[in-house]
Amino acid sequence: MGRDAILKAIQKNKPSLIPLPEINLDAFEEPIDLLETFKEKVALVGGRIIALDAIKNIDSEIQKLYPNASKIISCIKESNLGTISISEKTNPHELEAVDLAIINGEFGVAENGAVWISEDNFPIRVLPFISNDLVIILNKEKLCSNLHEAYKLISERNRTFGLFISGPSKTADIEQCLVIGAQGAMSLTIILV
Amino acid sequence: MSHSKKAAIFNKDEAKVNWHDKALWYVREKRDNAAHGVKGWEYLRDTASKIKGNVLSNLDNYLIEFEANAIKNNIKVHWASNAEEHNKIVHKILEEHNAKNVVKSKSMLTEECHLNPFLEAKGIEVVDTDLGEYIVQIAEETPSHIVLPAIHKTKEEVDELFQEHLGTNPSNGNPEYLTNEARKHLLNKFIEADGAITGVNFAIAETGGIVVCTNEGNADMGAHLAPVHIACMGIEKIIPKEADLGVFLRLLARSATGQPITTYSSHFNKPAEGTEIHIVIVDNGRTEQLSREDFRSSLHCIRCGACMNTCPIYRRSGGHSYDATIPGPIGSILSPGKDLKKHSSLPFASTLCGSCSNVCPVKINIHEQLYKWRQIIVKEESQPVVKKSILKITGKVLGNRTLYNLVGKSARFMLKYAPRFMVYSKLNTWGKARELPEVKNENFDTWYKINRKNNG
Repeated sequence: MGRDAILKAIQKNKPSLIPLPEINLDAFEEPIDLLETFKEKVALVGGRIIALDAIKNIDSEIQKLYPNASKIISCIKESNLGTISISEKTNPHELEAVDLAIINGEFGVAENGAVWISEDNFPIRVLPFISNDLVIILNKEKLCSNLHEAYKLISERNRTFGLFISGPSKTADIEQCLVIGAQGAMSLTIILV
Repeated sequence: MSHSKKAAIFNKDEAKVNWHDKALWYVREKRDNAAHGVKGWEYLRDTASKIKGNVLSNLDNYLIEFEANAIKNNIKVHWASNAEEHNKIVHKILEEHNAKNVVKSKSMLTEECHLNPFLEAKGIEVVDTDLGEYIVQIAEETPSHIVLPAIHKTKEEVDELFQEHLGTNPSNGNPEYLTNEARKHLLNKFIEADGAITGVNFAIAETGGIVVCTNEGNADMGAHLAPVHIACMGIEKIIPKEADLGVFLRLLARSATGQPITTYSSHFNKPAEGTEIHIVIVDNGRTEQLSREDFRSSLHCIRCGACMNTCPIYRRSGGHSYDATIPGPIGSILSPGKDLKKHSSLPFASTLCGSCSNVCPVKINIHEQLYKWRQIIVKEESQPVVKKSILKITGKVLGNRTLYNLVGKSARFMLKYAPRFMVYSKLNTWGKARELPEVKNENFDTWYKINRKNNG
């Protein structure tokens, strides 16, 4: 009912075809240090970034950062800090009181400090949002300059659910005062290895 | 009530107006900083505008492609010609899931369709979970800005509202405390929810997926905890390819708040095991706007709010003075297309300075469209007598050299020698809340002649 009427109205009212523009990506290219820019932007968006020499030091680093976390979900094999195990079958409501989640990130985007994470990195979709704090482990070689590059990197993925996450959840809805920690994770730490 | 009358009410509290003006200008400055940091920014805007131009010229095919791909991914697609159909569809889905407690993230479309009162009348609780929207919801108001819904409220007002509705302690409007109390309250709502409603920032024809952007994480908290996620979108939210998001996501948050990207840009392509995603595609006057050649490009809008932050009228009159779901410059070219009579004063709520068009990430010629609506409105809607007669007289004066010189001379004489009560009278709106400039003896014409002689 609505469908046909809408499509008919569009056919009647739309202008004649305007071609899609060719996008010249060279126009956006600039000589930047990917790692330095990424670090700078993560700080800008309220995140914390730590570079480690070796992945085996992850657990002691995380314990230093989050000494009070007791309900921990680790989705990476390199960490032994997990105290709760979850699978695809876990009821998302059971994650209400999770203190800390540790997940892998796929790659970072230098221009905006975002990291692409997807369902492949965490079995329950709500996890990176509902966990009080979030740690993302990222290979420091896996950085791209901007979102145009980023979309090339995810073009062949299995499309289920994924996101660019840039910093901790935040709001400025009360008199424009920036408050870190709105409805999602209160803090985001990116550990570069 | 006309925009100017409502703006006069907002202007009664001068300190608040000044704060509002400065707060929004600050956001505009943050936008400038962010934009200047991107190489090829103007080319980016240009590209976005061209992609949107292509979308509108091929919208039917893109919608069909989007639907087919979404269905392949187990997403259910619905179509609604108007607000009523939209509300009924959403209600039916909720009813099928026996949902009684619904959490909603920001969606200007559901505001436009007045979904909340519709669902509440059917016994369904709807909680707005964006902090700003939550504040206006408990205040029983509407958002006054599309990105900063509660920008018209002071922190002390929020403090009082929270004391009343959440039982918080008086905090003199401490933003951290208040935000954290809202977080705790809303977490319970997310956990209890049996249905989630979100808006859609972009719908991708090529993949059948949707992207939802928030800073707070509220859309994701709702969508991933509830068994059913209903995403509502206007037909113009379509973009052709996923790679086009590279263009639009680079523009959106920078234009909106000066952030390089929103905290969360979530890409939904398939429902999680055991849950459902429904997408409701809504027309509600958009195909009619598509038919108007002069106003068609208003459908390019990606709802960043930059035109509001920069507008000297918006900043000093507040979003509620527009009495429309979308306020500000973009709202003033969208709303007359929906109800010309009701919104006939909006295209006049502008100085036509063009700042809105200059910051628009998708290059809508907003100020030119405002001017074009004026041409239509003066023909179709009766204008106030004072405005009509003054414009008639102005036309005559400007068209006659002798008359123009005479009027100029007498105006200068009056400003210099007439008593204050006469100059600053009700007839002289330029004398409201401002001192008129000191009057020189000659006009520019005489000054120029004298100086040209003197300087050879």
